[in-house]
Amino acid sequence: MMTNASQITQAGLSSLVEDLRQAGIQVIGPARVTDGAVEYQRLADLSGWTPGVQPRRSLKEWFLPVTEPLFRYRKQGPRVLVEELAPPDAPRVVLGAYPCDAAALPILDAVMGWDYRDDPWFARREATVILSQVCPGGDASCFCTDVGIAPDSAAGADLRMCPIESGWRVQVETGKGEAFLQQWSRHFQPANGSKNPLPPAGPPRSEAPRANPERVRAWIETHFEDPFWQEVALRCHGCGGCAAVCPTCHCFDIVDEPENPVQGARRRNWDTCQTALFTRHASGHNPREDQCGRCRQRVNHKFAIYPARFGRILCTGCGRCARTCPSGQDITEILARIDQWAAGPGGA
Amino acid sequence: MNVYQPFRVRVEERIDETPDTRTLRLRFLDEEVARNFQFRAGQFGEYSVFGEGECTFCIASSPTRKGYIECSFKTVGKVTTAMKDLEVGDEMGFRGPYGNHFPLDRMEGGNIVFIAGGIGLAPVRCVIWNVLDERNKYRDVMIIHGARSVADLVYKRELEEWGRRPDVRLWTTVDPGGETPDWKGEVGFVPAIVQKAAPAARDAWAIVCGPPIMIQYTLPVLQGLGFPPDRIYTTLENRMKCGIGKCGRCNIGPVYVCKDGPVFTAAELARLPKEF
Repeated sequence: MMTNASQITQAGLSSLVEDLRQAGIQVIGPARVTDGAVEYQRLADLSGWTPGVQPRRSLKEWFLPVTEPLFRYRKQGPRVLVEELAPPDAPRVVLGAYPCDAAALPILDAVMGWDYRDDPWFARREATVILSQVCPGGDASCFCTDVGIAPDSAAGADLRMCPIESGWRVQVETGKGEAFLQQWSRHFQPANGSKNPLPPAGPPRSEAPRANPERVRAWIETHFEDPFWQEVALRCHGCGGCAAVCPTCHCFDIVDEPENPVQGARRRNWDTCQTALFTRHASGHNPREDQCGRCRQRVNHKFAIYPARFGRILCTGCGRCARTCPSGQDITEILARIDQWAAGPGGA
Repeated sequence: MNVYQPFRVRVEERIDETPDTRTLRLRFLDEEVARNFQFRAGQFGEYSVFGEGECTFCIASSPTRKGYIECSFKTVGKVTTAMKDLEVGDEMGFRGPYGNHFPLDRMEGGNIVFIAGGIGLAPVRCVIWNVLDERNKYRDVMIIHGARSVADLVYKRELEEWGRRPDVRLWTTVDPGGETPDWKGEVGFVPAIVQKAAPAARDAWAIVCGPPIMIQYTLPVLQGLGFPPDRIYTTLENRMKCGIGKCGRCNIGPVYVCKDGPVFTAAELARLPKEF
């Protein structure tokens, strides 16, 4: 019987990955891609594995792909055959997910699961075991601690890994994690001092939170027409890069892609609230007709609308939006300014 | 079968309402789906032509008419053009019903005023037939329908039918300049005709649908006649993709049209940010 904390050597991890691969289980983890950046990639072995570098894009695309077929169709004269696709439930393991990426998954479970269940999302969720790593340290754009997450957060992780001298210390967080550890127990050893929790994480970059989420939400909810949103929009090109790299932005489009006149697929593609077309009616009327409305929507959705509906902020503080923005828009500056006004005289 | 996979339906009938507006009557191919399909007046669905895409419309037929659904649409873009090109017997897709509905049970025993502009009559027509098919549950029924011109009046055969019924008071109007020499209805904008028809507000409910400008000017008239904002209902149509609260585009501030709507009271609309 495994104890709650185990450890695994680097060699043990390599043989684990080999065994997983042999068993037909896909292994995903941070690795360098051709342009030198790190992305979550399918791993054949650990040779290219780069824990300790935050991937440029989030883990989201492994659960909500950039584009995915929802079903296929084939026309035969007036008739149409609809071909159901097998659920995307191939078993997978994510090795070394960042806590800010793992934490995004249970946040998104809320929208994907309320009332109508998004089957492809949950097929992937259920088929995936997440081994997250304790964050080795962020950069100036990181702000996970401002939004209730920490470098050693367990949210979304089935198992948490922390580097130790002889390899990795591994802690079980869910039943799924426990089952994984049992199944592959030959690669693990009981941890020294197994009753102790994981070693504490290094200090997060932002020593004190720059904004109080409750106060920010109250201000947003009462300042829909505030001129500040115009100011935010002045910096925005509407490129949607922030949404593409965001672990929690999940807006999508549904389009048909014919392969030829008689067959094709209906697909779900990533979309972003930062473009005009996102909300434009067939009549030409657009409820969010300028960038002001679109920037406000993004901040509003993350810090007011989603918390109001699902009790969670739609942000994990990964900092990717700030790193990606071509004009240096930094969400933490926006939140800090809002918080300043909200805390000041008059407040929210 | 995932939630985005539509039911297959077959075009059973095509009715040209105006030069650019058509109604399709659709029947579910699967017998079991056809038997079990239920909806409430005001709900909407995602209609699709395979290879072209999906479009959001209300269900324009009444839930009291079983075995089929109808949608009415204006030919504007890619999908509606493809829908217009469908022949009787062609197959397309439908998923739904989604969203909330008009609270007809609350209106039982009361008077109902229907006010619709242009293609806005489609969602209202669903409620009208629902009410007329259960006529003894309601008291006075008034219908006010306006369009830009005589040619733009939709559901003309039904307007004639409603006009002949002794238990319906029907007002039809066209915008000034839209009348023909033999036009017998009113000439004037909908808000003015509502003022002229002056429905009594006591024990009454209003259901209003049409272009935003019409709704904007009709609400004050109704309130002037004594209709409280929580007895005036309308239905909104924002651009949607999923229809089930996930794709993130139809919200007006905190309110999702697909989940919290599409039916709202004027009181609810007044509390929303002006983003619709």
